[in-house]
Amino acid sequence: MILFKIPIISQLETVMRHVLDWFHGTLHLPWAWAIVATTIVVRVLLVPLTVKQIHSMQNLQRFAPQMKEIQKKYKADKQKQNEELMKFYRENNINPAASCLPMLFQLPVFIALYYSLRTFAHEAPSKHPGSLSFLHFVPNIAHHTTSFWGGYVLLVVYVASQMVSTLYMSATADKTQRILFMVMPLVFVFVIARFPAGLVLYWVTTNLWTVGQGLITRRLMPKTPPPDLFKRSSRTPPKADTGGNGDQPATPQPKPATPRSGGQPRRVRRKKGTARRR
Amino acid sequence: MYRLGVGAVWLYRITWGALFPTTCKYHPSCSQYAIDALRQKGLVRGGLLAGWRLLRCNPWSRGGFDPVR
Repeated sequence: MILFKIPIISQLETVMRHVLDWFHGTLHLPWAWAIVATTIVVRVLLVPLTVKQIHSMQNLQRFAPQMKEIQKKYKADKQKQNEELMKFYRENNINPAASCLPMLFQLPVFIALYYSLRTFAHEAPSKHPGSLSFLHFVPNIAHHTTSFWGGYVLLVVYVASQMVSTLYMSATADKTQRILFMVMPLVFVFVIARFPAGLVLYWVTTNLWTVGQGLITRRLMPKTPPPDLFKRSSRTPPKADTGGNGDQPATPQPKPATPRSGGQPRRVRRKKGTARRR
Repeated sequence: MYRLGVGAVWLYRITWGALFPTTCKYHPSCSQYAIDALRQKGLVRGGLLAGWRLLRCNPWSRGGFDPVR
């Protein structure tokens, strides 16, 4: 793979080498675990961004039926569809879950790790020599993933974790798009197979983090706590609450009409009652 | 000269961009905005505009319709 080095990249590599050196030299972690630790540090730094993202995604799922309708209506014209969706977001005060910044933040880390591992392959880290193996099944994290059987195991784990994490992070209700997201890792596996095993290790760790984070945030924030819409419908029969999927919580929307109409006669009765008492 | 920037955006699109399922919160998307900005304003100003747009595309911003002006 021909990738020329521009000055920024060698600076990124130096920073990455320092970080890995610190984990390896000071904390005495093996090189492979130093990569895992670096990944975790990166993801911890990104937590405020991703948690906000997950929350707005859950919020978004309440409006899934309406959004599906818009998507159906403008199926032929993707641009119009996007514009209408944006309008819908604005009208309903929705903050779209997706944003480019958190995703871009990982790119320099990835590039830095790629170059660091390439250097590792040419010359073993001299400052703190140590084994480059990982859990006994990957003999050398600086070598191509497919150059040993353990690499194939890593690739399988990568595909599985990528699929699950994609399912967690994609907010689209579009079926074809979801299928495309599931197929993507299978295509990428051929590219990633040429990368050093340590890079796949980074990828697997970051995916597993995404899945774990998704599970925890969902547990901490069970279902979606819809704002005033839900409060108004709290007097309606419990039918509205049974929705487990993201599609159902939007059903309370048409409901508020019933409690209101049910509430009015009560007020009248009270007035009558007070009038009689007087 | 701006073609250099557009090429970089395409390189990003077929590599890193394809890896992530996230769709942008703006319309046009950040990468399309970058291409438009580079075409209309040239490499330096277009690049700066694209960079500013990327910073705006964070979880706290509102998103929405935002073409190059």
